[in-house]
Amino acid sequence: MSQKINLRVWLKIPDAEAATVKNTLARRFGYADILNDVKKERLFSIEVDCGDVEELARSFAKELVNENKESCKILIDELNFEEGYVPVKVSLKIEDGEAISTRERLRSRLGFTNVVDVKKATIWKLYLGGMDPELRAKKIAEELLINPHKDTFEITSRMG
Amino acid sequence: MKIAVMQFPGTNCEHETLVAVKAVGMDGEIFRWNRSEGELSGFDGFFIPGGFSYQDRIRAGVIASKEPVMQALLEEAAKGKPIVGICNGFQILVESGLLPGTGKIDMALAQNVMVSKGKIVRRGYYCDWVNLRHDAPSKRCSGSFIMEQGSLLKIPIAHGEGNLVTTTPKLIERLNEQEQVVFRYCDRNGRVINEFPVNVNGSTQSIAAICNPEGNVLGMMPHPERSFFAWQLPSFDPRKQRPDAAGPGRRIFESVKRYIEVSA
Repeated sequence: MSQKINLRVWLKIPDAEAATVKNTLARRFGYADILNDVKKERLFSIEVDCGDVEELARSFAKELVNENKESCKILIDELNFEEGYVPVKVSLKIEDGEAISTRERLRSRLGFTNVVDVKKATIWKLYLGGMDPELRAKKIAEELLINPHKDTFEITSRMG
Repeated sequence: MKIAVMQFPGTNCEHETLVAVKAVGMDGEIFRWNRSEGELSGFDGFFIPGGFSYQDRIRAGVIASKEPVMQALLEEAAKGKPIVGICNGFQILVESGLLPGTGKIDMALAQNVMVSKGKIVRRGYYCDWVNLRHDAPSKRCSGSFIMEQGSLLKIPIAHGEGNLVTTTPKLIERLNEQEQVVFRYCDRNGRVINEFPVNVNGSTQSIAAICNPEGNVLGMMPHPERSFFAWQLPSFDPRKQRPDAAGPGRRIFESVKRYIEVSA
C-alpha cells in the first residue's frame, strides 16, 4: 500500500514573491484594509510504495530543502494547515515538468526506487480579516493567483 | 511618429527595442511603468519588450498586467494604435486580456514542453534561432503589415513559458478563421511540423504570434530586435558578412511604422 509524504517548505529569509503578491493585492485590487499578510510555501507530495516512510521523508527533505534558507514540515498521509490564514493550494493542471524532473531525480539519480509519484504545488497563505475570508481567498485566487487555462486551485483544510 | 517602449521592473530588452524603433525612422523613448499613465495618449504606438517583468513572480507577465499603465494601453489599443508585445510583452498582453482580444484571459503561455515522436524530450527554458512563417494576410496585423502571407523570418527565441494553451472552447478555430494567427514556427522551407525542434515550445498548432481581432495588437514570442541588423545573425548565416545590411527582424518595426502612416 502506498503512502504519501507531504513536505511543506518555506523560506526563512524574506520572500520577495509573497511581498509582491501582498503589494499587488493591496494596491491594485483594493484589499489593503482586510489583507494582513501573505506568505508562501512550496509543497511536495511524494508517493512511495514501500520502505520506512519516516526515514524516507527525512531523506527527501535533505535533498529538496536548502537548510541555509528554507525550513520544512513533514506530514505523512495528511495535509493540514494552521489557523489564522486561508491556505490556497495552486498547482498546474497541465503537465508539471518540474514535478516530473523531481520524481526522476529522486528515482533515477538518487536511487529512491520506491518513489511512485511526485506532485508540486504552491501554497499561498492569505491572512485575511473581515467576513468570509474563504470566499475572499477564492476571489483572490481567480483574480491573481491562477491562470485558469493552465492552473487549478483549492482552499485546503485547516486544523480544527 | 512617437513610440513608447514600455519598461517594467525586470524588462531587459528595452534599449535594443528602442534602437530598432529609431533605426526605422520613428521617434521613441523608454516609458517607465511608474510614470503617469495619462502621458501614454501622446504616443502613436507602443512596444512592450521582453525580459522578466517582476521576476516572473506568480507567473510570467501577470503582475505587470495589473499596473495602471496597462489599463491606459487598453484604452490606446481601443483607439486603433499599434501595440507589439515581444516575449514577456506577449505574456503581459495575454494576462491583461488584450490578446487574443476579448478583454478576458482566454489563454495561457505555459511552461515549454518539447515533444518529439510522441515523447517529451525536453522542458523549460530554451533559446535558439527559429524560423517563422507569416500566416496572416498582408496588412492584417500592425506588426507584420508589410509582410506577404507565407513569407519567412529567421528570429531568435529565448523563453521558458511560450507554450500557448487554452481551455476556451473553439478559441484556436476562431483564431484561425479570423486570421489572427500571425506567425507559426516552421522549418527553413516553411513547413509547419508540430513537434520539436521545429515547434520549439509545444505551442498549440505551432503558434508563435497572434493579433487581436482588429489587428493592431500583436504578441509574439520571438525577439525581432535581436535580429534587426545582419550582424546580429548567427555565424552560419551568410548575411552576417554584410554587417550594414538589414536583418529579418527589421520588418516588424518597418511594419509598425507603415501601419501608423496608413492609419494617420
